[in-house]
Amino acid sequence: MKLERLRAIAIGVALLLIWELVGRLAGRLLPPPSEILAQYWRDRDVFPAHIWATTRSAAAGFLLGNAAAILAAIAFCRFPLLEQLFRGVNIALFTVPAIVIGPIFVLVFPGDLPQIVLAAVLVYFPTMAAMLVGLNEIDPRLSDLVRIYGGREAALMRFVRLRSSLPSLLAGLKVAASLAVLGAILGEFGSGVRWGLGTFLLGSLSQGDAPRLWSIGLAATGLAMIGYGAFALIGAKTTGATKAVTLANKLPDRLGDRAGRRGGAQRLAILLAAILTPFVLWEALIAATGLSPIIAPGPIETLSYLFVSPDSAAARATLLNAVGETLPIAALGLVSGLAAAFLLASFTVLQPRLARLVLPVALVAQNIPLVALTPIVLLLFGRETLASVFMAVLVVFFPAYVLLSQGFALTPHAARDLVRAYGGGRFKELRLIATPYSISYLFAAAKLVAPQALLGVMVAEWLLSGRGLGNLLNVSRGNLDYDMIWAGAMVSILISVAAYQSVAALERLWR
Amino acid sequence: MNSLTRRQFAKAVGAGLGGAATGVFGLGGAGAADALNFQSVWLNDPEFLGYMIAIDNGFYAAEGLSVNYMPGGPNIIPEGALLSGKADIALTNILTTAKAVVDKGAPLVIIGTQYQKSPAGVISLASANIKGPKDLVGKTVACPPLSRNVFDAMLKIAEISADKVRVVPYTFDPTPLIEGNVDAVVDFVTQIPFLVEQKSGKKASYFLFWDVGLPLYVDLVVVTKDTLKAKRAQLVKFLRASRKGWDENFADPKKYPALYENTWFKGLGSSPEAELYFNETQRGLMETPKGVYYMSDDGISRNIEALARFGEKVNRDLFDTSLFAEV
Repeated sequence: MKLERLRAIAIGVALLLIWELVGRLAGRLLPPPSEILAQYWRDRDVFPAHIWATTRSAAAGFLLGNAAAILAAIAFCRFPLLEQLFRGVNIALFTVPAIVIGPIFVLVFPGDLPQIVLAAVLVYFPTMAAMLVGLNEIDPRLSDLVRIYGGREAALMRFVRLRSSLPSLLAGLKVAASLAVLGAILGEFGSGVRWGLGTFLLGSLSQGDAPRLWSIGLAATGLAMIGYGAFALIGAKTTGATKAVTLANKLPDRLGDRAGRRGGAQRLAILLAAILTPFVLWEALIAATGLSPIIAPGPIETLSYLFVSPDSAAARATLLNAVGETLPIAALGLVSGLAAAFLLASFTVLQPRLARLVLPVALVAQNIPLVALTPIVLLLFGRETLASVFMAVLVVFFPAYVLLSQGFALTPHAARDLVRAYGGGRFKELRLIATPYSISYLFAAAKLVAPQALLGVMVAEWLLSGRGLGNLLNVSRGNLDYDMIWAGAMVSILISVAAYQSVAALERLWR
Repeated sequence: MNSLTRRQFAKAVGAGLGGAATGVFGLGGAGAADALNFQSVWLNDPEFLGYMIAIDNGFYAAEGLSVNYMPGGPNIIPEGALLSGKADIALTNILTTAKAVVDKGAPLVIIGTQYQKSPAGVISLASANIKGPKDLVGKTVACPPLSRNVFDAMLKIAEISADKVRVVPYTFDPTPLIEGNVDAVVDFVTQIPFLVEQKSGKKASYFLFWDVGLPLYVDLVVVTKDTLKAKRAQLVKFLRASRKGWDENFADPKKYPALYENTWFKGLGSSPEAELYFNETQRGLMETPKGVYYMSDDGISRNIEALARFGEKVNRDLFDTSLFAEV
């Protein structure tokens, strides 16, 4: 163990030295660590205030979003019909582009609330989804026990579900912690607050000052990693409990296996209600906030903009064209990102030592604000398809990696030992045990990141290529064309929902 | 837009103002008669020195005003802040304001302009020899999506077909220009030329959109028609005190960038040298013999003509020049 730690430190130092060397040669784009450190020293009187502001917003958003997520997960587990009705809303919350909600939050919420709410919105879905898996994925022996003693659903929830959801919840909270930081920074970047790392980033962007951009980016990464690390630690300390060997394969299909027992007409009614719910909420929210339809058109305005108004044909053509450019790249990014995540997660079985090294690199890559990375991505991948795919992989990879390694880690030891007892190596273990056991985590990861791939490509289009849906939304912004922005957002959400449901359908086929 | 949309708009605006007035979302803000919420368009930089000086030197207070200055950012839509009642006064871009008024029937009115000449232009390295739109043929230009409409209009005026220039996104970071990834960037000329020269050691050059057929105002002082009616006296006072702030600033352009280094500008990534360059460059774009904010008949007609190039037919009554007599 000691030797291993020494080796890890040695590799870490070697990586830093390589970075230093490359940084000195690469000039302006990749500043060496020494220059970044010097920058921290020069900015030492402003960093504390910026970091404090971001920490406050991220923490508040984290609490708010997770409280909502946990309550929602319990409600959805208890009343599966509710989960079905709100599925569209859940995915919409997770996939609504920041360019649409950012300006709305700034108008509706005072003070620091815009960035707090944005952080909460980003946090909600991953935690809710992870918690729901945990609540549903219970050891059948325990539930039988409760039932034998006459316990009903409430007792099951209290004695079994809540406890067994803990490992899943903690895995969700790990991801949520880094997303909360990202959301807070994204909010600060847009809403013109005085302090915060996002504000610092925006102000520094125009100065062409790479060491400062990196120092801000790495400070953001550090914050996210502290959050991630805290929950990883709690997870490692608290979830050593034994699990039934047959467990992972029995992951219930939370896309409605209970609804499967309903009649056809009933299912159709539920489906229609699930589709209508987000639109009804959309209309209700706009009515409640009283926002001008110039910046916040309702569903009826948006649909009539696309299908009824005199210019609807042109609007549709523009939108379809942009979606056509964006969609294939997003699909490619999704598949590549999942493949990369699977490969690296499999290292946790094949090469556990290497896996421990990968995690910090993955965390840095995940949490460094994309705008700070843009000059390097531009240098390495240009402005075209490759750059967009790379950005999508960057966004997709990390959450998928976390979920997959969680799946691998929860593989029953008894099953692994069996392979070893028969002389099987680690590859056999991966192929025969770890992969089949964690397949439901692969599907869960795909569902979680499919919408994110689309957002990642849209960011790349906005920052680099100037094509597709991401660019269309931003150009429309310059024309104050919020009809187009909301139409584009609606289409991107619908695509995300479709991607989510396709993965769910694939999962059902698999079983 | 068709009349249906406009009716819905009027209805919802009414609801919006009602909501703000009752303070449901805590945005009603301006409780006392002399309090004004002022929505800026960007983070604190020398573009807004006049307001900062008027606040710090008590120019607003001397007029009996209490001005709540709200910085802007990419998510701030000044027109939205006015329509939702979050702000009484906002700085806007003439194109988006014209679109809101003409296309969507927003009840907004322009009562002054901060810049007589928009500082937006095309910036390049002097070695690239880009002196006007025609020199952009075959080049790659980084343009923020928000300014794409202006850039395209410039090409149209110069009769250059859009496919002759490769336009890529610009994210306010001049590094690609310094590194040679792009030949030119579209940005405010009050800042980027200095930074490019500072970072690259090479000479920068630029031309303004204003000089190539787009004589647009920018950072227009805009209010809703209701505000103009209800708070006319305060608006006059606001213009007077803000103008005094700008006059104070230009009396010694070196003074305030240095003075505000550790207050207004602290921790926002800029340097005193860059802010000084900004302040000295913007002076010629703002000052006019009739005083800052003045809009001449000639200037207004030129803006109306330029807006027509974007397909926006605005009426003269989008501009209200009646306040200047009282300022």
